[in-house]
Amino acid sequence: MRRLASTLGLALALASHATAAPVAYVLDRDQSSVAFETDFGADRITGSFPIVAADLTLDFEQVGNSTVAVTLDVSGARASFPFAAQALRGPRVLDASEHPQIAFQSTKVTPEGDGARVEGKVTVRGVTRPMVMRAEIYRQKGTEAGDRSHLTVRLTGVVARSAFGATGWSDMVGDEVRLTILARIDAAP
Amino acid sequence: MDWRNGPDQFGAVTRFLHWTMAVLIVMQLPLGWWIARMPPALDTLWLFGLHKTLGISVLVLVLVRLFWHRLSRVPLPLGPDGPARRAARGAHLALYALLMAVPLLGWIASSATGIDSVVFGRVVLPVIAPLSEVWSDGGFLVHAWLAWGLAVLVGGHVAAALLRRDGTLSRMLRGRV
Repeated sequence: MRRLASTLGLALALASHATAAPVAYVLDRDQSSVAFETDFGADRITGSFPIVAADLTLDFEQVGNSTVAVTLDVSGARASFPFAAQALRGPRVLDASEHPQIAFQSTKVTPEGDGARVEGKVTVRGVTRPMVMRAEIYRQKGTEAGDRSHLTVRLTGVVARSAFGATGWSDMVGDEVRLTILARIDAAP
Repeated sequence: MDWRNGPDQFGAVTRFLHWTMAVLIVMQLPLGWWIARMPPALDTLWLFGLHKTLGISVLVLVLVRLFWHRLSRVPLPLGPDGPARRAARGAHLALYALLMAVPLLGWIASSATGIDSVVFGRVVLPVIAPLSEVWSDGGFLVHAWLAWGLAVLVGGHVAAALLRRDGTLSRMLRGRV
């Protein structure tokens, strides 16, 4: 994957045939992932969530018109060792049986550096809190410069799990959870 | 070799069970103390599995031992009937009770966490408690208290065996006084 020369902020200047309107994108679910990472003493627990749905509309001229909505499947969560996955899905952390999904919905997108700042609301365990993610957009391998039909969006952000009541094993497992969403998307036909 | 217990002697089965459990308990008590307070780390996670494996072994062995003692009665403590013998009998009963209660409470508390209890690296123990933080926290608390009680009793048991010098220790080592 080569980094797309243009990012949300700079797209306009570089693209030869800039799309004039917001473009809806469809998620390539098999090629997308949501990875998380948290501390376990000096070690780290890593894992991933399947993406149930992602709704992305990107406007490369009016970045503020862009919207991002992502829904994750909690019961399909994986972790780097079996006990961690069980703990993660269990009632003391994400409580998958009561709250099978995590949802993120953007409320404000602004250009920031060579990426974008995506403010939004995330709902975990039925609790909704504000969350800020950093977005970077890349052109997928094998696509022409300026071709925005196949993109990779990388969203990174941090949440404190205690803010959502996901406090289980707080004596052993860190409060800060670092998320990296890698969404491979295709322009809707 | 006499497998069965006699009126004045311990048979091989009882002695084997006694010393196997002794080794397990001597490992288990400090191991339990340590895993409850060690810093979290991936390379020490297996110690929880070891603790559960040793603990379930103690539970199985104490049940086997009690069953065996129904088939082959153990001799009374040495010495005349009196306060010392009654104290020994009481301490032995308390040891048996704790050797069942401590592992069982560990199992109950582990079950209540919602995380599989895996012993011998592959066997998942049945869940025997509701998934509840009250059950797991309370269970581990009582598990720890009773384990301290067990440690005190084991200490007294060892001290008594060493100090009595009336053949009690050699009877458990060799079978007879």
